Amino acid sequence: MESGSTANPALAGVRNIIAVASGKGGVGKSTVAANLAIALQMHGQKVGLMDADIYGPSVPMMMGVGPVDPQIANFPIEKYDLKLMSLGFLPDATKGVLLRGPMVGKWVTTFLTQINWGDLDFLVIDMPPGTGDAQLTLCQVANVTGAVIVTTPQDVSLLDAVKALNMFNQLRTPVLGVIENMSYFVGDDGKRYEIFRHGGGKRLAAEANVAFLGEVPIDPRVAECGDAGEPMIRRHTESPAAKAYLALAGAVMDAAANAKTDALPEVVL
Amino acid sequence: MADGVTLKPLSLKRDGDGLTIHWADGVVSHLPFRLLRKQCPCATCNEERQKPPDPFRIITDKDILAASPQPKQMIPRGHYAYQIVWNDGHDTGIYTLEYLRKLGEPA
Repeated sequence: MESGSTANPALAGVRNIIAVASGKGGVGKSTVAANLAIALQMHGQKVGLMDADIYGPSVPMMMGVGPVDPQIANFPIEKYDLKLMSLGFLPDATKGVLLRGPMVGKWVTTFLTQINWGDLDFLVIDMPPGTGDAQLTLCQVANVTGAVIVTTPQDVSLLDAVKALNMFNQLRTPVLGVIENMSYFVGDDGKRYEIFRHGGGKRLAAEANVAFLGEVPIDPRVAECGDAGEPMIRRHTESPAAKAYLALAGAVMDAAANAKTDALPEVVL
Repeated sequence: MADGVTLKPLSLKRDGDGLTIHWADGVVSHLPFRLLRKQCPCATCNEERQKPPDPFRIITDKDILAASPQPKQMIPRGHYAYQIVWNDGHDTGIYTLEYLRKLGEPA
């Protein structure tokens, strides 16, 4: 399935573009995107990870790549065999970026059209929260194969996840399914604690008539590894969270293969 | 009206002074370029349309060109819309499929 637009050579070799999105911030999009990217790689795929969060890029820290000298660096940056791009790689951006909306669109367009992504099975895009400039630009510039919506189980998070779902419907971008992050915690006593309630992701998927892709448990090592610059799934391959990500990646691959992503016909003028 | 998710254009072609769209459900829309330009959905044009006409308006070269609007390019935008680049340089209108379909229906 060809998702890279022929008009855009930067994405011509990219077979699937997956947007990891949510309505609400803080549900773990970046963590899910980083671990999903590695999990897809563990399934034998060639993967890139693009950070579309212009105001708050997380990919550099989660992947352990500091700012680089843009004069001599080759973008995308390669680490763990992943191709990475983030505004956080630019030294000036680490101080914080003060930009109006249209500039966000320009940066996202730059990442999608000026970076040589090369030959990739999957380009995972870590979206900022909300339904704004970055999301619109992405869905206009690239032929996105599908979006996965990350949510946490409680209703407040679901409220905004519904908005994200509706946005992708309006932009005719297929929603591959819902991922429930921070689903539960298994204590030393082996008991399952549902810290943020239970079943919200499943309910949302059922209501929106999209697939439920899986749930990822809370594991303190997820945050620890993210801060240390190596996604948890690489370091603790046997943990329940890592297994959940591997299953998730399988589900995403199946869903992407089945997604109907016919490009719009060219206009004959 | 067909809903946005199932709406699918099969072909879009210039036909004289307009655009003919063949839709997957068999419907054929003919959209004169003049209508497309007049109903440009961009923010600037939306605002212009809401203003009362200015009797002291000076007609510029651009307006004269726009009187017989010709699209120079029509670029697919993702899975949901086309961007039209007009001969007078105006290019900010993103026409969603729903909008194109609606414009082709009798008022």
